[in-house]
Amino acid sequence: MMQFSETPLQPIHQIPLFSSTSSMNKNQINRSRPWPGFPTSKGLGSFGDANCMEQLLVHCANAIESNDATLAQQILWVLNNIAPPDGDSNQRLACAFLRALIVRAAKSGTCNKLLAAMANAHCNLAVDNHKFSVIELASFVDLTPWHRFGFTAANAAILEAVEGYSVIHIVDLSLTHCMQIPTLIEAIANRVEVPPLLKLKLTIAGATEDIPPMLDLSYEELGAKLVNFARSRNIILEFRVLPSSYTDGFASFMEQLRVQHLVYAESGEALVVNCHMMLHYIPEETLSSPIPSADSNTLCPFESSTSSLRTMFLKALRELDPTIVVLVDEDADLTSNNLVCRLRSAFNYLWIPYDTVDTFLPRGSKQRQWYEADICWKIENVIAYEGMQRVERLEPKSRWVQRMRNANFRGLGFGEEAVAEVKGMLDEHAAGWGLKKEEEDHLVLTWKGHNVVFATAWAPA
Amino acid sequence: MKRDHHHLNPNPDTTTSGKVKLEEQDGGMDELLAVLGYKVRTSDMAQVAQKLEQLEEVMGNVQVDGMSHVATDTVHYNPSDLSTWVESMLSEFNPPTSFDPVLATPPPPSSGMGSSFSTITSVDFNDSQKQQLNTPFFDESSYSDYELKAIPGKAVYSNTLDSSSSSNHNETSSNKRLKPSSGSNSETYPTTSMAPFGISPDPTRPVVLVDSQENGIRLVHALLACAEAVQENNLTVAQALVNQISYLAISQAGAMRKVATHFARALASRIYGCCPEYPLDHSLSDFLQMHFYETCPYLKFAHFTANQAILEAFEGKKRVHVIDFSMNQGMQWPALMQALALRPGGPPTFRLTGIGPPAPDNSDQLQEVGWKLARLAETIHVKFEYRGFVANSLADLDASMLNLRPSEVESVAVNSVFELHKLLARPGAIEKVLSVVKQMNPEIVTVVEQEANHNGPLFLDRFTESLHYYSTLFDSLEGSVNGQDKLMSEMYLGKQIYNVVACEGVDRVERHETLTQWRTRLGSSGFVPAHLGSNAFKQASTLLALFAGGDGYRVEENNGCLMLGWHTRPLIATSAWKLANKTAMTH
Repeated sequence: MMQFSETPLQPIHQIPLFSSTSSMNKNQINRSRPWPGFPTSKGLGSFGDANCMEQLLVHCANAIESNDATLAQQILWVLNNIAPPDGDSNQRLACAFLRALIVRAAKSGTCNKLLAAMANAHCNLAVDNHKFSVIELASFVDLTPWHRFGFTAANAAILEAVEGYSVIHIVDLSLTHCMQIPTLIEAIANRVEVPPLLKLKLTIAGATEDIPPMLDLSYEELGAKLVNFARSRNIILEFRVLPSSYTDGFASFMEQLRVQHLVYAESGEALVVNCHMMLHYIPEETLSSPIPSADSNTLCPFESSTSSLRTMFLKALRELDPTIVVLVDEDADLTSNNLVCRLRSAFNYLWIPYDTVDTFLPRGSKQRQWYEADICWKIENVIAYEGMQRVERLEPKSRWVQRMRNANFRGLGFGEEAVAEVKGMLDEHAAGWGLKKEEEDHLVLTWKGHNVVFATAWAPA
Repeated sequence: MKRDHHHLNPNPDTTTSGKVKLEEQDGGMDELLAVLGYKVRTSDMAQVAQKLEQLEEVMGNVQVDGMSHVATDTVHYNPSDLSTWVESMLSEFNPPTSFDPVLATPPPPSSGMGSSFSTITSVDFNDSQKQQLNTPFFDESSYSDYELKAIPGKAVYSNTLDSSSSSNHNETSSNKRLKPSSGSNSETYPTTSMAPFGISPDPTRPVVLVDSQENGIRLVHALLACAEAVQENNLTVAQALVNQISYLAISQAGAMRKVATHFARALASRIYGCCPEYPLDHSLSDFLQMHFYETCPYLKFAHFTANQAILEAFEGKKRVHVIDFSMNQGMQWPALMQALALRPGGPPTFRLTGIGPPAPDNSDQLQEVGWKLARLAETIHVKFEYRGFVANSLADLDASMLNLRPSEVESVAVNSVFELHKLLARPGAIEKVLSVVKQMNPEIVTVVEQEANHNGPLFLDRFTESLHYYSTLFDSLEGSVNGQDKLMSEMYLGKQIYNVVACEGVDRVERHETLTQWRTRLGSSGFVPAHLGSNAFKQASTLLALFAGGDGYRVEENNGCLMLGWHTRPLIATSAWKLANKTAMTH
């Protein structure tokens, strides 16, 4: 990947003084180069475009990982000059990655003085994520189909699935702080068929305080607003927050849900589990068998090697026997343990939010700063963090579909009505957005033909 | 023996709060001696300096050039034997397994000295272990050079000390009084209050305490006294002292020993007059420079900051031409080319004229570098034009030789890294070059120079300045991880030390001058400063912090120029210049 100069620095015979110290020379040739190896692969393609930026970022990541200070400094210098934070979308994208790489380098042991030094130089690395008010967040979410696509598709599928139920229990696993729910309440209120709805129960997972977008409101206050809103639509809403954490794969959350579901399940209650861009925070890495019992080594190597918190969550979900599960998430793979793979994958996905922003937010606007700060947060998490701190672990649609099937769910597909709703929503946005119907009626939001967000609906097989 | 007693019964206050004290005392301490591990008040040093000045006045200006008549048969220590020296240095880094254990032990107390001897003690401050955990990459073996070791074949102690220097010892050990030189009035150094700290001000390294403070002070004074004797043309004293220096140097640890050894070599060469030219050719100096580039941030800083100014000056230009006075291996240009390739609006046509001295083997090294850059240019789709220009001196250059195009066609940047000071060796050369630069009608002129005055009229001043300067530089190298890179860098700097101390006349080319002096010179030659922006400053700070391997490096902005230094001492200065009256070039 990294290219050092093709020719060794100096033929040894030109340096007779050192010819006797052969061990040193051998080392020298490995370490030295006439100039730091710049990316010179033919794969750079046309200059000035995202490909080249990506190549430079990859080289930079490699240099940082291999502790090649000289090369890393050189590339950082170049990137600093070609990726201004106020440049075009590609430049801002590269700038965010560059920032994340610096944070990564700063976190590594070799440069633990960095942050202090940067502070001295007034270089602020910290991402300033805005705390939204409910109104701000609602209008923010409405700016782009990024979330609205999932909301619209999910609501349509849910509405169809709960037809005829008088009690609906919605479990909302979403990082958008129930922004989807008012529309759903409205849609349920407007449905015409009998029997009339008696009660809507909403259970949310209190797990997303540390992930943007961040809300300046407590869950209780949020719940009170929703209850009032539902009342205005003649619907009784029960709002509950269950403490939870994605780090344990929502294990305690699912357990409480299971118990309550058993205890309070009313006849004719529909259980809706809405997973909106939340499940990818559950660790996907295979658990190393924590309890090495006497027989675990020999008897169940298969199970211990395939079970992850993500798998366990879906298993628990299936045991709830829900009426419908809607799974909406971003269609990319950010799970690789290899930094460069992750960098490439993230770069080839997260250009989209930067590319789209020009269509709905003016340069220099506050909202644009908030919007881009949240992407920065994501990039930093993918690039600069490892282990449990790396929570942005997106998986592509195909893998989620496989996971759902393995957990014994069957695809429900989206009806014509759902498709029409989504298309209608997309008409309100820029021309680059598109809708793709993939195999088994999964819906995919696209930008200029690239997959952005997928929506799938499931029921127990 | 008093010293040992003191050491066995350390003041508990000193050992527990040592670190705090170190920081508190930093401000008032003499930097040079602090580098050596001694806490001496700057105010005291001022007095010493004053005495030295008085002494100089009394003795007048000593002509130091005519000392080659001195007999050279009495060489105890052959400075020209570089390979032995290199090998001994190398053996420090890679001690052979069959290393004689006798050599690895501290030298036995010399009865001939009649004074206290050195012991070495390791002191682990409470947090030093923690710090080691934070820096796991740091190779334990690289500390080995802190240990007191005899350098094979070098630790020749001469008993022919003259009476004045032995009286100096007696005085030191008895009442802690030191003389700046054998001939001057004695001044009191508050050595008794010194806390036993390690030699390095860098807290990231485990502190190794060398209980050889007296030797260390004696070493500095022997160096200064020797230089003074050289200036006075008192060669008997100088010879005695230079021998004493080599003995004292080996009692020191780390940077001080190395620096003293380099200075001793240079002094010896000057005294014995046996080595007019440092036996290193230019390709080797290129080779050493590359290690210097890798080891420490100075050259990288120079390149980043100069490139920043050039890149900004070339903004929007379609054809650009860099005339590089310091081509060497062309290490400065790949980054600039890459940045130009990706600049908004597409890359300009990039022309590079690389100027360098002729290669000793008549190889066309400049052309080889050009080919490599051309290959890079091709892969990043930059139109590239290159010409290597061999010149013995920049002063031989004429604007007409460079096929310059009118400035509305092509924008010129002139770049010089560690080159201009060499012109000061030839009368009129700098003026000539600056006037040629003006004819080039450049958008920008970037100048990187050592921040020191090694070009004063008095040898002793130059010596003192450079001892201070290179002590700091060597100290900053101590944090370097790679022993071999470090060694090569030390040789690179050693070559400069040799030139400053041992050479005179046109041979003395390392005539570093301060930014203030360059400002005056460039200003009076019709150049006005072009401020390096705050962007350059932030960038330099970030890049430096990323991989400098230690927090001792500091970037400072000084009236639009950027300085890189070690702790409080600026060492390298980058400045950018424009023509005061830039006019269209007429051909």
